[in-house]
Amino acid sequence: MGSFVTSRFITYLLGGISSGIVIALVALSLVIIWKSTHVLNFAQGAMGMFATFVGMNLVFKGTNYWLCVLLSLAVGLALGGVTERLLIRPLYGKPEINPIVVMVGFLGVLESAIPSIWHTNLLPVPTPFSQIYYQDHGHTILVSPFVIFQVSLALGIMGGVALLFQYTNLGLKMRAAALAPEVSRLLGVRVNRLLTLGWILSSGVGAMAAVIVSSGQSLAATNMDGIFVSAFIAAAVGGLESPVGAITGGLLIGVTESLILGYWSSNMAPLAGVLVLVASLAIRPQGIFTRNSSRRV
Amino acid sequence: MGRLLTLRHAYPTSSRLVGTVVLAVLCVAITFTLTALDDSKLAGGAAIAIVIVGLSWLIGWSGQVSLGNSGFMAIGAYVTAIWANHHASTPIIFTLLLATACGAVGGLILALPSTRLRGPYLAGMTLAFSFAVAPLALNFPSLTGGSGGLFLNFLSAPRWFQGLFSGSQALIRANAQWTADVAIVVAAVAFFFMANLIHSSTGRAMRLVRDNDVAAELAGVNLQRTRTLAFAISAAYAGLGGSLLTLLTGSVTPQTYSLPLSILLLTLMVLGGIGTLSGAIIGGLIYSYSDNLVSLINKATGINPTSTFGANLKGIVFGVLLIATMLLAPRGIVGMGRRLTSMIKRPARES
Repeated sequence: MGSFVTSRFITYLLGGISSGIVIALVALSLVIIWKSTHVLNFAQGAMGMFATFVGMNLVFKGTNYWLCVLLSLAVGLALGGVTERLLIRPLYGKPEINPIVVMVGFLGVLESAIPSIWHTNLLPVPTPFSQIYYQDHGHTILVSPFVIFQVSLALGIMGGVALLFQYTNLGLKMRAAALAPEVSRLLGVRVNRLLTLGWILSSGVGAMAAVIVSSGQSLAATNMDGIFVSAFIAAAVGGLESPVGAITGGLLIGVTESLILGYWSSNMAPLAGVLVLVASLAIRPQGIFTRNSSRRV
Repeated sequence: MGRLLTLRHAYPTSSRLVGTVVLAVLCVAITFTLTALDDSKLAGGAAIAIVIVGLSWLIGWSGQVSLGNSGFMAIGAYVTAIWANHHASTPIIFTLLLATACGAVGGLILALPSTRLRGPYLAGMTLAFSFAVAPLALNFPSLTGGSGGLFLNFLSAPRWFQGLFSGSQALIRANAQWTADVAIVVAAVAFFFMANLIHSSTGRAMRLVRDNDVAAELAGVNLQRTRTLAFAISAAYAGLGGSLLTLLTGSVTPQTYSLPLSILLLTLMVLGGIGTLSGAIIGGLIYSYSDNLVSLINKATGINPTSTFGANLKGIVFGVLLIATMLLAPRGIVGMGRRLTSMIKRPARES
């Protein structure tokens, strides 16, 4: 048993799952925005990092870790709402390239603004739990109390989002507004408000993903770049409409990345996303988890 | 005037050729009056304008979004550097054609899975590609020189051209102007091809695919092939631009061809005007003088250019410009110009 748990393959698999769960979380946040407003938020990673910088930078000044996490979450939520109101709302009904370009521009602004607001700090953000990996008869398993915390926090957020959409009145309204905005409006649902709420929710989830990634690392504006790309591919593999598909895609890419890293070369890890995307397109071009193959013209 | 217009309709290709040659000769004549610094800036701008027109074609005419053109530029750049290091005496026209072809092949390979994708899916796929280029270059250091990149002899003026200059710094001025003139001629050829392509049957098919792909399919246009072709042509232009830029600067590094460059290309294209040839030229000019623009802002606001804020100012300025253009004037500078001229013309017609 011991030799099985510490075997190379299982080690890489565990590492892949723990990095994949964060990719899955960002992918989920992209799907929330896509479902509500049909915009692909290219600045999602940078927005999360902005929120993380506001909150987690205070850890170095001695503020309580959990307080900083809450602050980051609050900033993330607010940033999502402001972005939707100022940048996205004027573009509803315009060609689909317009919001893409605007969010790419916002990505550029954030990635230049963050390093000019906060000075570079190479110290890693302290973690509330130990980062020392568990040992099994002298062999290292790539799991530490901190990794367990990361994974369970991510799973908790996913569970919360699922509960919100499936079992609450608000979630029902949000689903209705995304599915049939005109009908919902006629039935008295305030669609515009719910679209903003969708962005707020998504940005909050993205901020939490950035906090999870950045704990134990030094803060950098580009921390989320690679994860955003993987998350986007994960969401696309799942069909962009399906939260379950996005999470599955995220885990798939995380594991592929980890296997490439372990068995091949660390430089090749960014290829994992491309490999998974090409493979999934070859098998099911409409996305793994979409039921019908029709699309809007 | 009316006669000229009839001629233009009767012989569209020849009149475009005449127009291109006149413009190119004019530009070359202007380079004689410029300083060495301005000449080398213009040369870089011409190379970037080629990439922008390729991107503009893809986004504006075929309706596909690509964030991967910095990756195709990297292909052109590396092919040029590797080839030049092994065969130093090759005429540059051959090197440029080789890089263009390699860019096109790279575009074809990426197009195979990508052109099945639409809108945001495609943008994401090309984004992944532009992220994968630098790691790929780092993984084969024997070929690409790793993180240090590759160096090559940059373009230098031939003897007869050097003879035109005299006085202090004659050689520097001759070399700078030679690179600018070469870049202008290459750009003129590239723009001439694009002007014809847009008005060819392929160009018209492309517009139909962009506006209504179902109608295009019913009219007998092969969607897959048309989209793939658009992608490959755009990649070929990026390869050519990357190759030219490498010949001008004499070096390639993987960091140059990363996501910020793709964002910059998109910004310049949107600023100039999506889907217009003149917009691509304006974009190239803005690229040439972007540093001047930023230092002007530095001076006006009193920001220290060596501070971290000053160092990041360029990224912020271009990001804000991109957002503002898209929200306020989505057709860019060319679109604004057209609106202005039509506003001036309309009252005249009514009176």
